[in-house]
Amino acid sequence: MRANAKTPASKDTKAVVAERPRPTARKARFDTSPYLFILPFFLFCLLLMLYPVVYSLTLSFREATVDTFVSGDMPFNGLTQYQAAVVDPVFWRAVVNTVLFAFFSILFQFTIGFVLALLFQLNFPLKNFCLAVLLIPWVLPVLTAANIFKGLFNDVGPINQIMHLVGLGPFPWLADPSYAFPATIVANIWIGFPFNFILLYAGMRSIPVEVYEAAKIDGANSWKRMVHITLPMLKPVSAAVLMLGTIYTVKVFDLVWIMTGGGPANGTHLLSTYAYQVGFSLLNFGEAAAIATLMVLLVLLLNLVQMVLQRK
Amino acid sequence: MEDRLYLPEVSHLMRTTFATLPRWWITAAALTVTAVLLSPFYWVLVGSFMTPAELFGGQMSLWPKHFAVENWSVAFSRLWPHIQNSLFVSAVASIGTLLITAPAAYGLVWRKPRGRQTLFAFTLMTQMLPAIVFVIPLFIVFTKINLVNTLYGLILADMTFTIPFALIMLSAYMKDLPYELVEAALVDGAGQLRAFLMIVLPMTLPGLITVGVFSFLIPWGDLIFALSLITDDSLQPLTLQLYKAFGQYGIDWGFLLPGSVLTAVPAVIFVIAASRFIVAGVTRGAIK
Repeated sequence: MRANAKTPASKDTKAVVAERPRPTARKARFDTSPYLFILPFFLFCLLLMLYPVVYSLTLSFREATVDTFVSGDMPFNGLTQYQAAVVDPVFWRAVVNTVLFAFFSILFQFTIGFVLALLFQLNFPLKNFCLAVLLIPWVLPVLTAANIFKGLFNDVGPINQIMHLVGLGPFPWLADPSYAFPATIVANIWIGFPFNFILLYAGMRSIPVEVYEAAKIDGANSWKRMVHITLPMLKPVSAAVLMLGTIYTVKVFDLVWIMTGGGPANGTHLLSTYAYQVGFSLLNFGEAAAIATLMVLLVLLLNLVQMVLQRK
Repeated sequence: MEDRLYLPEVSHLMRTTFATLPRWWITAAALTVTAVLLSPFYWVLVGSFMTPAELFGGQMSLWPKHFAVENWSVAFSRLWPHIQNSLFVSAVASIGTLLITAPAAYGLVWRKPRGRQTLFAFTLMTQMLPAIVFVIPLFIVFTKINLVNTLYGLILADMTFTIPFALIMLSAYMKDLPYELVEAALVDGAGQLRAFLMIVLPMTLPGLITVGVFSFLIPWGDLIFALSLITDDSLQPLTLQLYKAFGQYGIDWGFLLPGSVLTAVPAVIFVIAASRFIVAGVTRGAIK
């Protein structure tokens, strides 16, 4: 993407290595120090990351409920958990919700981020100030953002108050799933747009000025420069932004758990909140682990679809 | 790169489009957009000083009629023990993350141990996994080894979020390290550890600070691990205490809003102080 000043494999580094006199003339011993540097990280990965992931996967094939958990033997029972998950209509509701949640979140986050990134290509007084405060929604703890929107969408909250001023509503924002679900998406768009904004902003900055100058000399107007330079040259950055956006959005948990808890009537569940409910409210860890596995497959599938679409 | 961002001549992209507009006009437009986008945050700031009657009294109020400072004093005194829990958990997790990932990022990028590609791919892969994949096994295992309901258990769990993230970001910084300096020190007889401490760490300090702050903010804002691992009220971090605040007797907004603002304080300080570094750091981590 950008020419790295120095990568580990760059030529001049190798040259330095070759010319340097060997510190010891003894025959080369196996150098353990690289392994010592990464040892703590390696152990952490093994014990607290790989082990849980594998555990979660095997758990999805076991009967792990309160009874078996207390007695300690969690017997294998094949695909029973997966069967139990996929016959539940709430599971499919959660699948559809997760996909819609991701799609609409990313669509609007990206659009808002893109327009802002364009605007901030201009230089104007107070630009740095605006840029800094626009990052706030993204760094806020999700709990804060969730509570804000829980308040804004309150029955008698500011959004219904504004609606009332223009003669609409009141809407049962968090009391009816068909309103509560869009409300959670709005909140998530608010959390995520700054991330899209700064990446696209930096991406546009990295397009060389000379390209625009050359195009201008050749008589391309600003619209043409946009379509033929900005958009194509921004493609790698956009692809990265969309891929990360998908990964992050499918993982969203706190926001929905705090705003609606998956309700009302299980109508706003995402796979993450549904899996958590099955695991920690219904205490069926095996089925929760099965849902978690299916969720990972969904992330992979969505990223695959995205890659295929972007290839075109 | 920092300097380049603020030079006037790089803004060719839209400049000609709006060339006729005076700059203050653009500032006015940008401020309006910013104000609209940040209005939810404004609402929580002023709302935290309103009585519930004023907040949801049917009439929109943009500024408190009288400042209900008692909201804040009550919220603060009730939350102080939990703020301390959060401070402890986040600080230890952040330091632990740096202690583990700084040598690892250096080792993986420059010392080239065998299997580094596998390890790096695994780290990237974990970023795709939803939290629930870790929450359930850690809950079961921590129950068995008595780490449930301890702050140390929560710290270890939070580090499963911060460690892969920190390694990815730090590796990007490490790639910019002028390795010749390390080699020169080694030739001069410095040991590997000494070269790492005296050269690598100081040279990557901006990266270490950025990653350290993020590794503080992630545990600070975490809910899912606290929710599943901590039930003892005295051990609850700030987020969990605030989450538990609604539900029992309806929502006490006079407590919830100042509490939500308090939770946001470290993040807001950080973003105002270091927005430039964030833009640079996030861009590096994500795009390189």
